[in-house]
Amino acid sequence: MIFKVAWRNIWRSKVRSFIVIGSIAVGIWAGLLIIGFSFGMNNERTTSAIGTTIGHAQIHSAAFDVEPLSSATLGDPASVGDLRRSVEELPFVAGTAQRTVLQGMINSAKSARAARIMGVWPEDERLQTTLPMNLVEGDFFEENGRNRLVIGEKLANRLGLKLRSKVVLTFQDAEGTLSRASFRVSGIYKTLNATWDEFHLYVHHEDLEKTLGTLLVHEVLVRFNETVDTDEKAVQLASSLPEGLALKSWKQVNPELGFADDMMAIMLVLVLGIIMMALLFGIINNMLMAILERRRELGMLMAVGMNKRKLFLMILIETLMLGFVGGPIGIVLGDLSTRLMMQIGIDLTSKKDGLAELGVQSIIYPEIVPEYYIIIAIMVVTTALIASILPAVRALKLNPVQAIRGE
Amino acid sequence: MSKPVIEIKNLEKVYEGAVPVHAVNGINLTITEGEFTALKGPSGCGKTTFLNLLGGLDKPTSGSIEIGGVDITTLSENQLIDFRLRNIGFVFQAYNLIPVLSAQENVSFIMLLQDRPKEEREARAKQLLESVGLKGKEGQRPVQLSGGQQQRVAVARALASKPQFVLADEPTANLDSTSTANLLDIMEKLNKEEGMTFVFATHDDRVIKKARRIISIEDGKVLSDE
Repeated sequence: MIFKVAWRNIWRSKVRSFIVIGSIAVGIWAGLLIIGFSFGMNNERTTSAIGTTIGHAQIHSAAFDVEPLSSATLGDPASVGDLRRSVEELPFVAGTAQRTVLQGMINSAKSARAARIMGVWPEDERLQTTLPMNLVEGDFFEENGRNRLVIGEKLANRLGLKLRSKVVLTFQDAEGTLSRASFRVSGIYKTLNATWDEFHLYVHHEDLEKTLGTLLVHEVLVRFNETVDTDEKAVQLASSLPEGLALKSWKQVNPELGFADDMMAIMLVLVLGIIMMALLFGIINNMLMAILERRRELGMLMAVGMNKRKLFLMILIETLMLGFVGGPIGIVLGDLSTRLMMQIGIDLTSKKDGLAELGVQSIIYPEIVPEYYIIIAIMVVTTALIASILPAVRALKLNPVQAIRGE
Repeated sequence: MSKPVIEIKNLEKVYEGAVPVHAVNGINLTITEGEFTALKGPSGCGKTTFLNLLGGLDKPTSGSIEIGGVDITTLSENQLIDFRLRNIGFVFQAYNLIPVLSAQENVSFIMLLQDRPKEEREARAKQLLESVGLKGKEGQRPVQLSGGQQQRVAVARALASKPQFVLADEPTANLDSTSTANLLDIMEKLNKEEGMTFVFATHDDRVIKKARRIISIEDGKVLSDE
């Protein structure tokens, strides 16, 4: 019957209870939308970076991680082949791709800039990355021809390059001697990561091999089956590597991306915490008002023998019920809104350039994150529990004689 | 001879202040089982303070109150709450029913606090409401009942816990003459038929006329006991 009393008490002041329940529902709805939006944006950014360019992990020689010199290779082609085969045997690995990675300069008729030259095996790149699908002009080494170059749109613009423009690349060979070679732009790509586009250019590994006189492999990109538990998988993969090789997870390859991923979880809990704080004060205010209005009744209950434990329990249940009504409404509204937004997307075209700098498309598709529903449910219950303490203590401090008289 | 229900010895209640006020000033009294007693006196004479002390709602400055052999002045706050629940029935001037509960639920609620089984609660609540003339009104909420009917629910509620006695503070103050007469008849009937002890604090002559023992209080002292 205490539950019945608590439930009916909530509806004694319908307007006030609707306002509190509405606040809880709106707070949770907003929280879920923020979570969905943040995850959608961050995951798109992460998935894009992993899928387009960096993979889930990269294997280099330990020396390359210290300083990415041309001489810091993974070994001869045969040992690289063995390495790739052993890595691909791991159950969570979907595939690998090898790359030559050289630091160098690119000179156009207009300007010169530092660049990272990626000597790629086009078939591997097509299988393991989505960069070949991000070409805005030309092709990704599909047509035959020598010294072809695929360049980021941003770098191309800075250097005043178009398709078929001629450039000169300067880079070091394994002995540290500078080599130069002419290349012609055969493709222009554009990923969501403008910083990557501005610094990385792709050439066919055979063209580099001819210029360098030898085949150099500095990097093996590893793609996992799915972007889940990547830290654990990276640790497992690292432990299987031969001595002298080092593994970097995508978070280490792109620390900014990893930091954003880790920080987002903390930020979202903070945002939810702030929402709950606001709700906390709303609920406390509502319950204090209710206690004040029901002084006579509470005084009577204490006089006739309702002990402190039961009185506390009654107020606790009443407060929790506000959360139990508002919480599910907010979760359902948040879920439905997020699902709707997943279909139509949130159009931020007006902020297109700024978002592109962050590696995000102008239409954000939020995501459902079920574990946050549980976190929110726990936070709502905790908030209601905390909110009930002050009103309950106030009620317990009532003097029954004075309260019955309405003093 | 009836056994004593309440034995009061040298009871004093002093409110400290610039000038100490002796609200209850050395009362000695015994109330026996089955009494129908009225405490009368002008406003401010100390009868409500005295009633609060009897009901364990306030602590005396000195003296003792033995109820069923237990000196309630020695009980802790929590022990007093439990003692009130099991031994004393209360009827208040303003009825003080729980507005969100029906008449029957208001009566049952006290028994719920005593952890009595649901079947017993429901059966006793129905029987008590019938005995105060509210058969058929069990499902109505206080707002749907007249003042007199609400006070009758309050009497049923006071009896629900099977107390040793019922304390009623100005129970008729808010009632018209018909409702007062009805209520007094019901309480008198419960007193005679079930032997329930009633103690009223009142200045209502209609109540005083019905009482079989009238204790006059003035300046915190018993002026007369008839």
